[in-house]
Amino acid sequence: MKTTQKTLIILVFLLVGMQSYGQRKQRLADKDTKAWHYDIECVGTGKEGFKLIKVWSYSKKPKYAITQSWKNAVHGIIFKGFSGTGRSCTGFRPLINKSMNQKQYDAFFKNFFLDSGQYSQFVTDAADGSIDPRDVLKVGKKMYKIGVVVNVNVSQLRKLLEEEGIINGLTTGF
Amino acid sequence: MIKQLKLLICLALTLSSCNLFSQAKKPTLMVVPSDVWCIERGYYLTFNNQGTPIRIPDYKRAFQENSQVNQVISQINGLMAERGFPLKNMETVIRSLQMDSAEDNMRSSKTSGSNINESSIDALKKVAKADIIIQLTWSLNKVGPKKSVNFNLQGLDAYTNKQIATANGTGAPSFSAELPVLLSEAVIAHMDNFTAGLQDHFDDMFINGREIIVRIQTWEDWNEDLESEFNGEELGYLIEDWLTDNTVKGRFSTTDMTESMALFEQVRIPVLNNSGRAIDARRYLRDLSKYLSNSPYNIPNKLVMKGLGRATLILGGK
Repeated sequence: MKTTQKTLIILVFLLVGMQSYGQRKQRLADKDTKAWHYDIECVGTGKEGFKLIKVWSYSKKPKYAITQSWKNAVHGIIFKGFSGTGRSCTGFRPLINKSMNQKQYDAFFKNFFLDSGQYSQFVTDAADGSIDPRDVLKVGKKMYKIGVVVNVNVSQLRKLLEEEGIINGLTTGF
Repeated sequence: MIKQLKLLICLALTLSSCNLFSQAKKPTLMVVPSDVWCIERGYYLTFNNQGTPIRIPDYKRAFQENSQVNQVISQINGLMAERGFPLKNMETVIRSLQMDSAEDNMRSSKTSGSNINESSIDALKKVAKADIIIQLTWSLNKVGPKKSVNFNLQGLDAYTNKQIATANGTGAPSFSAELPVLLSEAVIAHMDNFTAGLQDHFDDMFINGREIIVRIQTWEDWNEDLESEFNGEELGYLIEDWLTDNTVKGRFSTTDMTESMALFEQVRIPVLNNSGRAIDARRYLRDLSKYLSNSPYNIPNKLVMKGLGRATLILGGK
């Protein structure tokens, strides 16, 4: 009986430990997103209102880089933009067009970029989640750079941000 | 207590009425095929101007004979409408102008049989116009079987003639895609950059004021001119002083000043006046008109407008 109890307690501790380890990794990955530790490049002209982009995310574990790529893609469209790659792709300016302090950022984007946040409504995998082996690069002793191609619904994202007063719309003031 | 309540209600009403008027005048936009596009494709009319042949674009023919121009304009209109900025459709504007003209010619008063009063200036002003013209040009490049489209969109302020937004580039070459597909891709690829430029222009307008052109002219039979002195100061300088006091951060440039005319460019006027009403060049210049017609100057004048961004004050009479 005692042995079963002990085993159970150890199991619970192990599970909790693993979960918090996973959460810690996720938090670190989120921190990377916030610190703009990712790169975005244009892949091609997408559908009307969409952007087809490749997000290069950095992580010690490739798994987190992949899960983080959706967040990075939406974050990049809002805050970073990307330069064009010549003839097939034109550059894109970030959606944000108003200055914002940390308090204002937290008020909306903290929940928006949660794992269960609204950001996931505006992004889809372009290649059904599969990654080109050439897009998994080891860039340091313990660092991976993973490229994931995603589709971002810029039109709907812009509408939401305009409605929330985060960005100015074309008709703001008229 | 009742007094305070009344005061509060009054304050709320005043604030709400201010809010009601606190929207700036929205400019109209229209996509127009560029002169070079029209002329390259043969959509032009030729006039003989004292021995010099002059070619002007024949927009009506371009819309009737070129389906691609309709496709591109329709796509741009759709994308702009989605952003809350529906554009004027040039083809429809031309058609309704012709219709209006035909109706005006046929109309007569039921009582006196009189025709519609139309001065030669009115007739001259009957053209398709918008505050911002989006000039569209594209050309098809062919290298062997490879095709690509060179695309150029220019947003031009109809009054200041300044380019306020642009998007241009050459699309990726394709062996199989047809011209309409290449054009559609070009519009999708370039519209975001174009609207971003437009947004910058509007943001600048709300911060630094609307940019307008002010012209001062004089009637031939007026006994005074812009060099005449009033209270020891020349009229030209008095007008400049008024502009300094009434522009955003005193911004304007005196481009030309003679005894009979003055031209002020880059005149930055507030988007809303002190009472929160939206103003344009005409409403703005009405204050100068009143200032000059009142004592001590007593200069009768006529105010003529052209859209949101250009107004002329003719001194010496109505």
